[in-house]
Amino acid sequence: MKIITANRLSDGRVIYVGEAGAVVDSLSAAAVFEPEAADAALAEAAAQPAVFVNPYLVEVTGHTPSGRDRLKETIRSAGPTVGNSLKHREPA
Amino acid sequence: MYRYDEFDAALVRERVEEFRDQVERRASGALTEDQFKPLRLMNGVYLQLHAYMLRVAVPYGVMSGAQMRRLAHIARVYDKGYGHFTTRCNIQYNWPALTDLPAILSELAEVEMHAIQTSGNCIRNTTTDVFAGAADDELEDPRPWCEVIRQWSTIHPEFSFLPRKFKIAVVAAEKDRAAIRTHDVGLQIVKGADGGTAFRVFVGGGQGRLPHIAQEIAPAVPGHELLAYLTAILRAWNLLGRRDNIHKARIKILVASLGIDAFRTEVDKHFATLRQEDLRIPDAELTRIQSYFTPPVFADLPKTSAAFDRAVLADPDFARFSRNNIRRHKQPGYASVIVSLKPVDGVPGDITDAQMDLVADLAERYSFDEVRAAYEQNLVLPHVRLDDTPALWRELLAAGLATPNADLVTDIIACPGLDYCSLANARSIPVAQALSRQLGDLDYQERVGPVRINMSGCINACGHHHVGHIGVLGVDRKGEEYYQITVGGSPDEQAALGEIVGRSLPSEEVAPAIARALDRYLEVRTEGERFIDTVRRLGADPFRDAIYETADAVA
Repeated sequence: MKIITANRLSDGRVIYVGEAGAVVDSLSAAAVFEPEAADAALAEAAAQPAVFVNPYLVEVTGHTPSGRDRLKETIRSAGPTVGNSLKHREPA
Repeated sequence: MYRYDEFDAALVRERVEEFRDQVERRASGALTEDQFKPLRLMNGVYLQLHAYMLRVAVPYGVMSGAQMRRLAHIARVYDKGYGHFTTRCNIQYNWPALTDLPAILSELAEVEMHAIQTSGNCIRNTTTDVFAGAADDELEDPRPWCEVIRQWSTIHPEFSFLPRKFKIAVVAAEKDRAAIRTHDVGLQIVKGADGGTAFRVFVGGGQGRLPHIAQEIAPAVPGHELLAYLTAILRAWNLLGRRDNIHKARIKILVASLGIDAFRTEVDKHFATLRQEDLRIPDAELTRIQSYFTPPVFADLPKTSAAFDRAVLADPDFARFSRNNIRRHKQPGYASVIVSLKPVDGVPGDITDAQMDLVADLAERYSFDEVRAAYEQNLVLPHVRLDDTPALWRELLAAGLATPNADLVTDIIACPGLDYCSLANARSIPVAQALSRQLGDLDYQERVGPVRINMSGCINACGHHHVGHIGVLGVDRKGEEYYQITVGGSPDEQAALGEIVGRSLPSEEVAPAIARALDRYLEVRTEGERFIDTVRRLGADPFRDAIYETADAVA
């Protein structure tokens, strides 16, 4: 199964394609696609360059990244595992 | 320090406006990412894992209090309240919004700073000895020459589309405190045949996946011909260097494949013409630039300080700080103070906005309004009265900036790794933190003495792991983080690449393994022998044995 992720154009933050093509910022809210549907959804995201920068597919099991890049995708979704950014909450 | 003239000011202002327009066109969708990427890179803007990243140039690592205060302001207003000093003496912000970048660059321009040429295939920020102008062993202050190189290389039309990035470092002492032999070009100021300034030139150093130590190409290029000689080197590489393979494009590959003698012949061919042309540095211009770097007006002080001596006797913590973080100065009664950005469990090179504000204040009050960024990811207050060091130390201590570990084993150089970087294979920071916890006991660190650990999260080697006395390289093994250890690297005048000791280790094994290697060193060293000297004497074997003694290493 696949989800679609990218960085948001305006601020670079990690975003996902949610249900009904919505833009969501949480991996848990990402829509999970069968392989065939994933390619079409990726093309839809790529067609919105004012939102999605460099969209690509991520392999998941449920809502957990499961491919070779699973650690990278986990860190992308949750933020740095250490350091000063943890003390600083993102504005809602 | 150098102040912008009207050309510098206009150039930076125009670049901000140009980039403002480019950002607006990108935000509106008029430019695609593919079109925008080379434009943003020319302005120091990357797109990393979580956000855009802005790398701001700190020319040869020199800043004023006002500049440091502005860096703090930017961290506070546009980022998450901190910045990260890099091994190129620059500062990175990890969280700026694209749409804020023009405002940030505008604010930087007001204090004569910018992000030009901090990225892309151009000549990057020139680095130098962090103790320039203060060290008692330098022939002259190398910073005016760095400024000459900065002016020459900024938006140089011939060198704006090089095969790959190009880095230059300059030192003015036998002791190499700027790792010049790891650079594309390393320059050592020497005395020329006529008694004037000349440059011993090294070329073809570099790290990354194919590391090379730079080789000497010229023993003494006269100072006024420096730009002609640098141009000759860059022109030879620009014409002959590979552009078909990004991994083989750096000058080190060309120098290694031609051989230093054949490459020298190519350079000399260009130099023969260039040295006759208008690339000679006019004396008046050099004098003008040097005038910005005249030493501050030092007080006439005795060599020793009663206040300093009393504090050393009265407070063992200050005594320890003075042993490790206070360095000799050429001016009697003064010292250079290393502000450690390596607290136990910290992120090497990170500094908060409040800490930056404090350092700005301290620079103004105690160090003639000057602060330096060291490539080791620390800061230095270069010109402090010995009398003032106890008071300065107390303020640093209260702000968490007085870890007395400069050049000791927890003074770890580390890249941001997979916590931030889109190129990384593994995390660097948690491994550096584990090392700092495991090795943090200060008595132990002082017993072990100077050891540099360098940590990179991928083969690009931003953490300089190849030249760490102990190097740690993060690798990806089927989606798991593993770490390869090297021993015996050295970045200085005895530059050497470390030897890989064996199979890579899982992250939790790295700190205990390195602790065992250091314990082995304590057993086998001779009186007064530094870690790196012991490795040179005995080779890597004793340390390999210690590292794998109990570790459950995997292929």
